Amino acid sequence: MLFFALFISGTTFAQQITTAELQVNGLTCSMCSRATETSLKSLGFIETVTPDLNRNIFVLSFKADQTVDIDQIRDKVQDAGFSIGDLSATMTFKNTEIDAAGVAKMDGNVYQFVNAKSKTLDGPVTAQVIDKDFISSSAFKKKAAELNSATYLKGKGMIAGKEQRIFHLSI
Amino acid sequence: MRYIWSAAVVFLLSVSLRTTAQELYVFTEPASNMAAKSIGIRVTNEGLVNGGSMNRTIPELMLSFNKNLMTHVQGFFSDMDGKYRLEGGSVYAKYRFLSIDDTQKHFRAAAYGRLSTSKRPTYSEDINLEGDNSGAQGGIVVTQLLHKLALSANLAYTKSFESESRQQSGMPQPDQLISYSLSSGYLVLPVVYKNYNQPNFNVYFEMLGKTNPVNGRSYLDFAPAIQAIINSRTRIDLGYRFQVAGDMAGRYNKNMYLLRAEFNFFNVL
Repeated sequence: MLFFALFISGTTFAQQITTAELQVNGLTCSMCSRATETSLKSLGFIETVTPDLNRNIFVLSFKADQTVDIDQIRDKVQDAGFSIGDLSATMTFKNTEIDAAGVAKMDGNVYQFVNAKSKTLDGPVTAQVIDKDFISSSAFKKKAAELNSATYLKGKGMIAGKEQRIFHLSI
Repeated sequence: MRYIWSAAVVFLLSVSLRTTAQELYVFTEPASNMAAKSIGIRVTNEGLVNGGSMNRTIPELMLSFNKNLMTHVQGFFSDMDGKYRLEGGSVYAKYRFLSIDDTQKHFRAAAYGRLSTSKRPTYSEDINLEGDNSGAQGGIVVTQLLHKLALSANLAYTKSFESESRQQSGMPQPDQLISYSLSSGYLVLPVVYKNYNQPNFNVYFEMLGKTNPVNGRSYLDFAPAIQAIINSRTRIDLGYRFQVAGDMAGRYNKNMYLLRAEFNFFNVL
């Protein structure tokens, strides 16, 4: 629990994330899918995992009272021997401002939007996480060339004088 | 060399005919690992049918420490020298160093090593580190999965460590071998997945070759196999390997059937 608490301040989304659709690359057998699902279910904040075995998609729902750590979802998929091809999360924003640079902060997390700026988000929005290891490596390379950003390459950047995890989102 | 070429030709034919299963090969290991922190238990029975029948039983424990490193520990029991007895053991470790994933396909590469001991007397220059010989092996394996088809290639070097006392005088002696294999697997059923409880059926065709680099003596075996996966957790293999070409005398596994049951426990370590 202490370990979990440490994460809450750092690399986590808060419970505004209700569901996510996770497409896993490299999978084709049901034994591999079952291993991936078992690995995902070991995360305390996951409520249900619903697999679509033909499309290699897992629909995740999250516990309302727990903090969702997207980076841990990536780690669990990699532990099973595979990688994330697409992770699209349904996030509920509460009058969240996206500044002129496309940056928004919510509950201690920093989000860099790549296709939205100078606007206010309110209510549920489906956002794709496009950081490294959340899309295929070829897609990441293409995006990295397009965005030409050191923050994107590292998934981290300086926020108010200290280095912090920055999630890159496409909505 | 000619075995390698004939192996390559048959392999390419088998690929073009799309005859084959997935990557849980029966006679070799793929470059992919088990899921991290999982345990697998296997019991394999090998029946050797070279003029009379002999049986070997191999209990095996598989552990995966993380996504890249896993190990197998095996024990060997057989009646090949008279009474059924424990004849040796083996430790195998595999490190996956490359993994490129895409939608319903992946490419993986791994390096592996094996250390084996056996108290069996030696009669052949063939080296079988799963029961017949003491020795060490190091190799690399690459595996490509393309939706329902999986292809894999192995290249390894094996050195035997036999004590003089177990060598039978006047018989060929084991020293070193280069081994190579090409494996293909195809998922036959289900055509469309409904749930985890549906059984999966895979068919395999593998080509297993070995060459003594000192004298050039070689052999090539073909090894077809079928496999059922039940509840996405339990695996049953049935395979047969037979020599199609070769000039290495006194081989034990020249004609061999294999029956295996494997049970997986995911994310328990």
